[in-house]
Amino acid sequence: MSSSGTPLSESPPPSVQEATTLTTAATVIANHKKKDTSKVIVRFRAIGNAPILKQNIYKITASNKFMAVIQFLRKELNYKHSDPLFLYVNSAFSPAPDEIVNNLFKCFNTDGKLIVNYCTSPAWG
Amino acid sequence: MPPQPGQGKTPAAASTATTPAPHNPIAKVIWDGSIPIQFTWDRAEAAAVGSNAVEAFFFEASRCSYFSLLTSHVRKHFVDMALHFIGDDAEVWYEYEGTPLKWHYPIGLLYDIHGLQASAGGGMNGSLLPWKVTVHFQNFPGDKLIKSQAVDSCQDYFMSMIKEADYLRNGSTKKVMNMSKSDQTQLWDGLWSNDYDRFWGMNHKLMLNDGVMARSLPIRIYLPENCPVIQDPISPVDENDRPKTLRQVLHSSLPDLFPLVETGTPVASAMIHGIIPSLDTSAIWASQNMSYPDNFLHLVIIIH
Repeated sequence: MSSSGTPLSESPPPSVQEATTLTTAATVIANHKKKDTSKVIVRFRAIGNAPILKQNIYKITASNKFMAVIQFLRKELNYKHSDPLFLYVNSAFSPAPDEIVNNLFKCFNTDGKLIVNYCTSPAWG
Repeated sequence: MPPQPGQGKTPAAASTATTPAPHNPIAKVIWDGSIPIQFTWDRAEAAAVGSNAVEAFFFEASRCSYFSLLTSHVRKHFVDMALHFIGDDAEVWYEYEGTPLKWHYPIGLLYDIHGLQASAGGGMNGSLLPWKVTVHFQNFPGDKLIKSQAVDSCQDYFMSMIKEADYLRNGSTKKVMNMSKSDQTQLWDGLWSNDYDRFWGMNHKLMLNDGVMARSLPIRIYLPENCPVIQDPISPVDENDRPKTLRQVLHSSLPDLFPLVETGTPVASAMIHGIIPSLDTSAIWASQNMSYPDNFLHLVIIIH
């Protein structure tokens, strides 16, 4: 890029400053919208009489919604849409399907794994 | 006074003594915050049954309430006018300017995101009011909204949020789980019947955390343009054990938008309940006093 000749040390005129502001905000927003392909480790734990998975540790894309975790587990268990299945984080609470996996991982992981308990009837209130 | 969702139906436990809420003028004005809403029946749906001139329904909704709690009033209005509706109330959904509104978000949060944030705070003088919301009785957008089995689901989602908040503060949900079933129900009933004392009489125990410093603050941050919600583990104190300010909290999640030292015109600000608090406000104070009933402090980012 060629310089237009404006000395860098001088403070920019208001219009330029405004444009910079817009760029900063737009960049931040664009970066947050970008699909993050990094993965986090999820460990599934069956509760009560829920069927046990052969493999219980999986890598799941961090930017996915928790809905993806629910659908993944249903598929692994070969569950139909009508079969009841309840998922909890850390045997404590049930995240909404639109919560971001990465947020849950950042806030609630145990030794680098997000622990998801599942059962066929509601547990923990 | 507008009709309240709970009016005429007293929750079962209302006769038992309720601990009055501790005096807290901030929590009270936030609780009393409301938004006048104009509900209009979707044009295409109304036209399909030959009802082109159905009057809108006006309702002054509590900012802390949920659309699911208003559905019975909204449905009744349109059924009285022209609507033939035999479906379940869980099939009713709401939309603002083409965007379906999440029924599990508080109404005030939805207004701040889809109304004020989208207009970059330009509607703060009230020009967006009454908030013009479109009601649909058909074609629930299951790809955009969570499909619930019943209107009661709203209570389950609400309690899950309270447990998640408790977990953030304490590393377990013991505080909520140690409450009796009726004490837990009191939180929802208080919200549902718009009874400040009923709700805060119980909620202050969670919020003040028995005087124990929270590990993390339950905070969610909302950027414009439908960005993914940001929720980071945020300690309420800095490395010197001093309470963090909202600026410090926002800086740790969004350093480019919220520099620790502002050198020029601020790029962005954070809105809570439709107002823009000073960023020097203590984050734990804001959490304890300005959270929604779901125990989360929802920060809506306004770009200038």
